[in-house]
Amino acid sequence: MFKLEEVSKSFGNQTVLQPTSIDFQTGKSTVLIGPSGCGKSTLLRLLAGLLTPNSGRVLFDGVELNTRNIMQMRHRMGYVIQDGGLFPHLTSAQNVGLMARHLGWSDQQVQIRIDELADLTRLPRPALDRYPGQISGGQRQRVGIMRALMLDPPVMLLDEPMGALDPLVRYDLQEDLLKIFRALNKTAITVTHDMGEAGFFGDHVIMLGEGCIVQQGKLEEMILHPANDYVTRFVNAQRLPTLPNARGAS
Amino acid sequence: MRPRIASLLVGLFGYLSCFSNPLGTSAVHAQAPQVGIGSKSFTESVILGELLSHLAKNTGAQVRHRAELGGTQILWQALITGEIDAYVDYTGTIREEILADVAREGTKIESEGDMRNALAARKVSMSERVGFNNTYALGMRRSIAQRLGITKISDLKNHPELQLGFSDEFVERKDGWRPLKEEYGLPHTRIKVMDHNLAYRGLEKDSIQVADLYTTDPEVKYYDLVALEDDLAFFPVYYAVVLMREDLTSRAPKVAEAIMRMQGLITPEEMSSMSAEVRLDRRQEAIVAGEFLNSKLNLGLSLPQEGRWVEGRKIIERVVSTTWEHLFLVLISLGLAILSAIPLGILASRNEALGQTVLGVVGVIQTLPSMALLVFVMPLFALFGMGIGPAPAIMALFLYSLLPIVRGTYAGIKQIPASIRESAEVLGLDARARLRLVELPLAQPSILSGIKTAAVINVGTATIGALIGAGGYGSSILTGIRLNDLSLILQGAVPAAALALVVQYGFGLLEKKIVSPGLQGS
Repeated sequence: MFKLEEVSKSFGNQTVLQPTSIDFQTGKSTVLIGPSGCGKSTLLRLLAGLLTPNSGRVLFDGVELNTRNIMQMRHRMGYVIQDGGLFPHLTSAQNVGLMARHLGWSDQQVQIRIDELADLTRLPRPALDRYPGQISGGQRQRVGIMRALMLDPPVMLLDEPMGALDPLVRYDLQEDLLKIFRALNKTAITVTHDMGEAGFFGDHVIMLGEGCIVQQGKLEEMILHPANDYVTRFVNAQRLPTLPNARGAS
Repeated sequence: MRPRIASLLVGLFGYLSCFSNPLGTSAVHAQAPQVGIGSKSFTESVILGELLSHLAKNTGAQVRHRAELGGTQILWQALITGEIDAYVDYTGTIREEILADVAREGTKIESEGDMRNALAARKVSMSERVGFNNTYALGMRRSIAQRLGITKISDLKNHPELQLGFSDEFVERKDGWRPLKEEYGLPHTRIKVMDHNLAYRGLEKDSIQVADLYTTDPEVKYYDLVALEDDLAFFPVYYAVVLMREDLTSRAPKVAEAIMRMQGLITPEEMSSMSAEVRLDRRQEAIVAGEFLNSKLNLGLSLPQEGRWVEGRKIIERVVSTTWEHLFLVLISLGLAILSAIPLGILASRNEALGQTVLGVVGVIQTLPSMALLVFVMPLFALFGMGIGPAPAIMALFLYSLLPIVRGTYAGIKQIPASIRESAEVLGLDARARLRLVELPLAQPSILSGIKTAAVINVGTATIGALIGAGGYGSSILTGIRLNDLSLILQGAVPAAALALVVQYGFGLLEKKIVSPGLQGS
């Protein structure tokens, strides 16, 4: 579905992503993990067309993204950011339905779809008519996910989607989100710095460091057989008490 | 949509033209020449304007007196662009202000003949003196002057014990106290600096014995003062003369001839006594001027019954009509400003360099003094015959209203967090849809507050409209100040303040109504 071919990105003379190639598996969940500044968010933004690569190509469904087709392509991607990125002047329902209405859906079509999505994301109905400032962080994130799913895109891009949530809310939402991805057979690409989340979501985990892929595969593999010191340090930094072996491996 | 806007503009244009020239071109009066007379915003000038008006009207002409215009430059612009045909000015002013540019270019402007020649080059003719010289003088109470035997300024040298009290303008001027003291070798050192009006009281109470005054001030008569003879001819002369467009002689020869009857018509005492009737007895300028002409030239004008300014019905009528005029200025200028400033603000938010330029330019406009701005825009409107009246005032108000709205729009859009911007972008909304559905609604509170600021400032600033004959509350204030009439000042100032409060409150309500609840109360 999504493919990077030797894509690199730099801001000024600072390179944030070395030439990198990734073929994201359709229908699977891929997690990009690494510390701040490793290039994982830049990579996601390149996929969404928010940034253009300095070299290489970003292919979506076999077509290279460019300024002419990006608007169309975005209707086929759902994008979720930390705290939802909701428009504060619109109610939850208006946020979710904005794009569909702009594309000319009827009120009834919009209403039906919002109902479905509220069920799917387990958003309490009263929250639909409230403004983002009037609902909880977890509810905001659920509305953000609904908005991303509104046009039923095959791909979901999630940038630290749980970053602003407390652990209990986070736990519930992770469960729900995984169920949704599985049920709808979405290609999901999630950015996080949390190993637990990566292991929970990721069919495939890609660890980035200083603009390069450091290691990829299953999370367990990274923990048990870290490719280098960098991975070891990152894994240890998570202080996972259930896996004392990881410490021994260094 | 487009033709509708075009026809709206044409309509507005037409309305403005009518406003500025209500005489129109009615067929009934096709034969009667139309004549415009002007005057400045001080009483003597208004009386002189009424005298000119009576003389012109008496020939059967249709006359419009543009009273109380805001200054020499505005009168002069109006005269050369043909908005008015004649007004009375003073030789000193003609030399120092109107012909200052000619003098700078090297032409010698000293005698009245020099002035007449220089003015003729601009198709303006200057009459012989009207008969009085309105300049600075030093004045004393007649009784004290007589007792001490003082008749001229030189005599003050022998009376160092006298207390002098001057207005601060007189103390500062380059034809004021310091050079005067030097010229005459006066010994006085302790000067009381005081308000001009208070100086008259000071003379009356004998707390000062000598004050500066204008030779035709009505108070000269009221307080029985004498102006000391300027025996060394220190003060520049300000002889009143009529300035008239040359083309009036061919267009309306009878009117031109009648207007020239002003030459040698008025003595200093007569001028001062007419001013006293208006300022001290609160009589109307038109009636005072008419009575003077009836007695001096036996014109036999029929004059309206005396009506005092301060009468209940008149107050209401005046407040209502000035309110309409004021609202007209405010609403049109604000409307045009909103239509232009919001797009400008959006443009500014799109490109940093362009943004700084736009904000810089509208910021500079804001710092221009209103008088300068008016004098600047008047000639542009004069091309369409709208140099005097609401059009230039609306233009000035429009320009002043731009900054708050442009800045409100710019800041409102700029303050939208990057995450919200990106969310709109990745949803797949194109730039226009993002602007309409996300950016403008989010910027709305900031835009509204910019419009509110502009409206409140506009209500206050619209009082300058009176300077160029656009009416509004400013005309009550201006006349009130001129006549030292507190009631009249309040008839302008109170409604203006009330209107500003209404605007403030109205925008509060509007904000509650149209701004998304999601953006309120935070």
